[in-house]
Amino acid sequence: MSETTKTNIPNFEIDEEKYRTLYRRQIFRLLLTYVLPLFLLILFFQIEYNKIHKESTILHLKSTAETQAQTLDLFLRERVVNLLNLIDDPKFDEHILKNNINVFLDKLKKDSEAFIDLGYFDSSGIQNLYAGPFPNLRNINYSNEQWFKTLISNPQRYVITDIYMGFRNLPHFTIAVKKSYNGRISILRATLDPTKIYNFLLSATIFRDVLITLVNKEGKFQLTNPRLGNVLERSPFLPPQEPKVGFSEIVINRKTFEFGYCWLTQTEWCVIASSEKQNFFFGSSFQQTTIIISFLTILFLFIVILVRAKKIVEFEKEKELAEMEKKLARLQLEHASKLAAVGELAAGIAHEINNPLAIIASEAGLIKDLINPEFKQNISLSDLTPHLDNIQQSAFRARDITRKLMTFVRRDDLKLDSYDVNQIINELLEGFVEHELFVSNIILEKRLQPNLPKVWIDANSFRQVILNLLNNAKDAINGPGKITISTYQDGDHVKISVKDTGCGISQEQMDKIFLPFYTTKPVGKGTGLGLSVSYNIIKSFGGTIQVESIVGKGSNFTIVLPIQK
Amino acid sequence: MEEKKIKLLVVDDEVQFLDSISKRLELRGFEVTKATNGTEAIDLARKKKFDLALVDLKMPGLDGKQVLEILKSEHKYIEVIILTGHGSLDSAVECTKLGAFDYLPKPYELEDLIIKLKEAYKARLEKKFRDDKEKMDKIFQIALGNSPLAILEELKKLDNEEK
Repeated sequence: MSETTKTNIPNFEIDEEKYRTLYRRQIFRLLLTYVLPLFLLILFFQIEYNKIHKESTILHLKSTAETQAQTLDLFLRERVVNLLNLIDDPKFDEHILKNNINVFLDKLKKDSEAFIDLGYFDSSGIQNLYAGPFPNLRNINYSNEQWFKTLISNPQRYVITDIYMGFRNLPHFTIAVKKSYNGRISILRATLDPTKIYNFLLSATIFRDVLITLVNKEGKFQLTNPRLGNVLERSPFLPPQEPKVGFSEIVINRKTFEFGYCWLTQTEWCVIASSEKQNFFFGSSFQQTTIIISFLTILFLFIVILVRAKKIVEFEKEKELAEMEKKLARLQLEHASKLAAVGELAAGIAHEINNPLAIIASEAGLIKDLINPEFKQNISLSDLTPHLDNIQQSAFRARDITRKLMTFVRRDDLKLDSYDVNQIINELLEGFVEHELFVSNIILEKRLQPNLPKVWIDANSFRQVILNLLNNAKDAINGPGKITISTYQDGDHVKISVKDTGCGISQEQMDKIFLPFYTTKPVGKGTGLGLSVSYNIIKSFGGTIQVESIVGKGSNFTIVLPIQK
Repeated sequence: MEEKKIKLLVVDDEVQFLDSISKRLELRGFEVTKATNGTEAIDLARKKKFDLALVDLKMPGLDGKQVLEILKSEHKYIEVIILTGHGSLDSAVECTKLGAFDYLPKPYELEDLIIKLKEAYKARLEKKFRDDKEKMDKIFQIALGNSPLAILEELKKLDNEEK
């Protein structure tokens, strides 16, 4: 007989770790489904927005620089023309001879406020005449100054200097023009206030966030916004010589500036229109609004996701708990029915155990009597042997019964294996059923077909089913009668039938006999579980139970099991 | 002092038990007759008069309850004690309703059995004594006012009643 002694109680603990993982996974999955696309959309929008914004910025800065450069070129040319008009005036020499240079300065100032002073030089480089706020500059020799050298040596009639401090120690720049007349060179030199030019430039710019600066070819600030540096300091912007108009980027104090530049044609100055580069996400208020709305949406989604994930996990948990409860209830039901099946025979089994116990008690008492001098039996020790044998036999008889009983009460896992049903039935009947039926005046007839094919069953559960059918048969007979247990092969099936000569089952009862808790036995005698559990057990073996019954004649329960292939 | 032996019929299908309990009771002064089934017991009781019967409840063939009913119906003064190895005492209690003097679950202490047997014997004696006294009273009544021939007739009738 194959017996499993391992008692495996199923695990009815909730695996919390599993649900924490599930929770994390759900959050991740939902984030991936809802938040990621939104996030990508926002990112795409930002990238596209910034691209367009950058293109427009480049265009804007370049055109600003170009416009300003043209304006400045025009301005400088006008100033040069102002001076040339003076020096080419037929009355020029006449006025110079009269030392009347102030007239010229007044005339120039009418043309432009930027003019500060005016000086007259001959080829020696000494400022012969001067009009303006710095009279001490008169008679100073400028022959070594760069502008002077350039003007004398070049064929071009004018020169525009960079901004410098010069003798007066104030930032200014100079426009000088020359005239050659009968081999004599006359030079007029005017200085201009750069701040006036700068204001002029600023007045022309439209956008406040654009900073306009002017650098020379050495990269020194000629005109600048104080935020970027001071005049004549080295400029961080170093525009390339070619192309004349362009765009570039630069980092100043950890801030990125974009700038458009344009070189002047009149002098080697470059106009730079720069603006601080916008933050990728928070560049404009439009972007800020978008980002805030997106953030709030994502936050809302995230909260929804957290709640949703929690609900999903709770739902799963409840489902598993319900499953567990169902499983537990089923196990308890099966165990209860097993106990009930045993309980129905318990009285008979008690009888079977009490009988050998009575023999033991009685034989032991007899031995005591035999060796008691009071009874004067005069026996030898060997006379006691048969009585001791009886005691031993009875003890073993009781042990066999309890041992067999235990195989029913154990709650084992279903362990399917290949079995010969005849062997199981024989062992079961020999255990206590045969004698129990004998003393109940029920004849038990066995018709077991030899060499029956094996079937795939769990021995303990099968024993329970047979015991249950026998119990029912016995209860149906209730008095003298006959139970026939037979096994036989029928095609692909092995059939086990338990037939009784009992009261039978009415058609009305027949519909309900396999329902749980349906019983016809008196209260306290039957649980109504036997047949329903038996049916489920046989079903789990891939078999079925068939019933035939005639009221008053008896019933025949047939277990049909598929032959193991 | 020579005491009259109590005549006891023991009925049980467990031979080992039957033998040992009979021997023990014999050692204690009972006159024991053994029967291994109900039919044998009833036959023995018809041949010999028993004071008491000790009957096992569960037996193949006639069970203890049937044996009890037959013995009680055939013998007026016999007292029956039922022995049972059955876990439930329902059927044993049922037997006392059917006229059993008492019941005893197996296994039991011999002392308890002997006490019950003696009580049963006493009850039997008292019943017999009561009945005998009634009979004596009747005989006395009859003797007072009847002719000797009529007295003889009446005594014959009484004798037939007692079986």
